[in-house]
Amino acid sequence: MSESREIIAENLIKSYGKFNAVDGVSFRVKDGEIYGFLGPNGAGKSTTVGMLTTLSVPTSGKATVGGYDIASQANDVRRISGVTLQDVGLDPLMKSTELLTIQGRLFGLTAKEAAMRADELLEIVSLSEPEVKKRPVGKYSGGMRRRLDLAMGLVHQPQILFLDEPTTGLDPASRRDIWAEVRRLNRELGMTIFLTTQYLEEADELADRISIIVKGKIAIEGAPSELKASLGSESINVTFKDTEAAARAESLLVSMVDRAQLDRKMLRLYRAGAAEIVPAVVTTLTANGLNPTALTLTQPTLDDVFLQVTGQTMDDEAQNSAEPAA
Amino acid sequence: MTAMSVPQSAVRTQAMPIRRMSFVAQTIMMTRRSLVTAFRDPVAIIPGFLINIFFLLIFAGSLGTASGFLPGLAGQSYIGFILPFSVISASLGTSGIAGQGIVRDIEQGYFDKLMLTPINRWALLLGPMISAAIILVLQTLLVVGVAIVFMGLRPETGVLGILILLILSLLTGIAFAGFTVGIALRTGSAAATQGAGLLFFPLSFLTATFVPLSLLSGWIATAATLNPITYIIDAGRAALNTGWDSDVMVKALLACFVLGGLTMTFALTSLRARTRRK
Repeated sequence: MSESREIIAENLIKSYGKFNAVDGVSFRVKDGEIYGFLGPNGAGKSTTVGMLTTLSVPTSGKATVGGYDIASQANDVRRISGVTLQDVGLDPLMKSTELLTIQGRLFGLTAKEAAMRADELLEIVSLSEPEVKKRPVGKYSGGMRRRLDLAMGLVHQPQILFLDEPTTGLDPASRRDIWAEVRRLNRELGMTIFLTTQYLEEADELADRISIIVKGKIAIEGAPSELKASLGSESINVTFKDTEAAARAESLLVSMVDRAQLDRKMLRLYRAGAAEIVPAVVTTLTANGLNPTALTLTQPTLDDVFLQVTGQTMDDEAQNSAEPAA
Repeated sequence: MTAMSVPQSAVRTQAMPIRRMSFVAQTIMMTRRSLVTAFRDPVAIIPGFLINIFFLLIFAGSLGTASGFLPGLAGQSYIGFILPFSVISASLGTSGIAGQGIVRDIEQGYFDKLMLTPINRWALLLGPMISAAIILVLQTLLVVGVAIVFMGLRPETGVLGILILLILSLLTGIAFAGFTVGIALRTGSAAATQGAGLLFFPLSFLTATFVPLSLLSGWIATAATLNPITYIIDAGRAALNTGWDSDVMVKALLACFVLGGLTMTFALTSLRARTRRK
C-alpha cells in the first residue's frame, strides 16, 4: 500500500456527554502542505489533534492520516506521524541524548543508529553544545524544552508532523526559532505539517492554508492571502502636520475609497487594492496643496478575518491563555 | 506574507522500516532508565534504607535477648530472626519508587509520549518495577553488611544465605512494585501512590513478626498462616538462622509468585484502564 502524506477528516465528532468538543469537522490536508488550525482556547483544536494522533477515538466520523484509518490502523498512523503535543512530554530527570536514544530504539533503531540520530537531531534544534547535553532537561528553559520535544517527534523520520500549539508561552526569539525549523522541515523534507495555534501571526507566517475553528466547527478555510483579500481590507494611512489638514484631505478623498477613518493627524483609507490608488491619492493631495508627512500601506491581517468570522478579536482570547509554560 | 508553495524537488523521506526491538532489550532499557533517574533523585531511595536500619536497631535492641527465653528460638540469633522482617517491611516503602516513577511520567506527559511509540506494554511496566527491586536488593545488601559488621550476624548458610535473602527481596520488591504501579496508573496521583505503600504495611505485621509462627495463637495465627509474606520471611530466617530447608524455600518462592501474579495482573488491568482510547 502506498503511503500518501495526506490527512483527510470527514465529519469528525468528539462528544463529552452532551457537549460536542469537536462538532463535525471535515478537511483535507494535501501532501507536503503546512495546514494551520487556528482558533481560540477551547475551540476544539487539541481534541482534533488527539483524535488524529490516535490518543483518542472519534465519537463519530472518519479520518485517515497518510492513508491509514485513525481508528482501525492506529499503529500505522503512529509509525508515520510525529507528534509534539501542547504540553511538553519529557522526563525532567533525563538528559536529551537519553530521551532521544530511547525514543529511537523503541522505533526500531539499533543503539548505534539511535545515538547518531540523537546527535543529528540535537544539532538541528541547536541543543548540541556539550554544556547543554550534560544538563537534565528539567534545567532547560521553556524554549529549549520545546525544541527538544520537537526533536523527539522527529526521531523516526515521520512523513506527517502534528504540532499542537508549538510556540504557546514562548518568547518571541524562541518562537522564531521554532518557525524557522518548521519551515525547514516542510521545505527540505517535504513533510506534511498539521499545526494548531492561537496566534494569527503564526498561522500567517507558516501555513499554506488555514482553517479557523470556533466552538468545534470550522468557520472558514482557505489560504491566508485569500482570506485576507476576501474578508480583510487594505488601507492607505496618510499622516499630516495637523488635524485640520487631515480633515480637509478626508473630504477630498472619501469618494475614492470604501471607507475613510480620521484618527487625529492620520487618515486611514480602506479599499480593496488600495495600492493601485496611491498615485491618485498623492496627485489629489499635492494638487490641493496638502503635503503628507508620512504615507504607509497596511495589508489586511488575519485579525480582520478572525473578527469577521467570530465577532471577537483573537487577541482578547489569546491574552487569557498566553502564559509562559512552566 | 509567506504562503509558500512546496518545491517539487523536495527530498522525500521514507518512513522507517518496521523493525522491532526485542521485549527483553526493551525491558532492560526501561529498567536502566528508571534506575538512572532514581539515583538522580535519591530522596526517594534514602528513607527506605534508613527505615530498614531503624527497624533492625529497635527490634534487636528491645528484643535482642528474646532468643534466650523464647522456646522456638533457643540457640538462634535474634538478629538473624528479625532481619528478614525488617527487609520485607522496608521493601514496602522502596517498591513505592516504581509507582512514583510512573506518576512522574504521567504528570510530565512523558507517559503519553511513550504510549505513542511501539513500546511493549510489559516492558513499560516492568522497567520501573525491576529497577525498584534492584534498589531494594542494594538496600538489603547494605543492611546485611551492617548487621554482619556491627551486630554480629553470622548467617547459618553463609554466602548462600545472603544470596537467598537478596533473591527474596528482588522477588518481593517486584511483587510489591506491581501494586504501587497499579495504583499509580489508576489514580495518576503521587499522594495516592504514597498512601498505597502504607496500605500494605499492616500486612507485614500480620505475620510471625516478633516470635516464631508456632508461638502464635488465635486470629493472628490464622492471618499469619494465610499471609504469603509469612513464608517469605520464614525462608529468610531459615537462610540466616536454621539452615537450608528446601520445603521452606519452595513455599517462599510460591508465595512470591502468588503475590507477584496478583499485583502484576492488577498493574496490567490498570494500564489497560488508563490507556483505553476514549
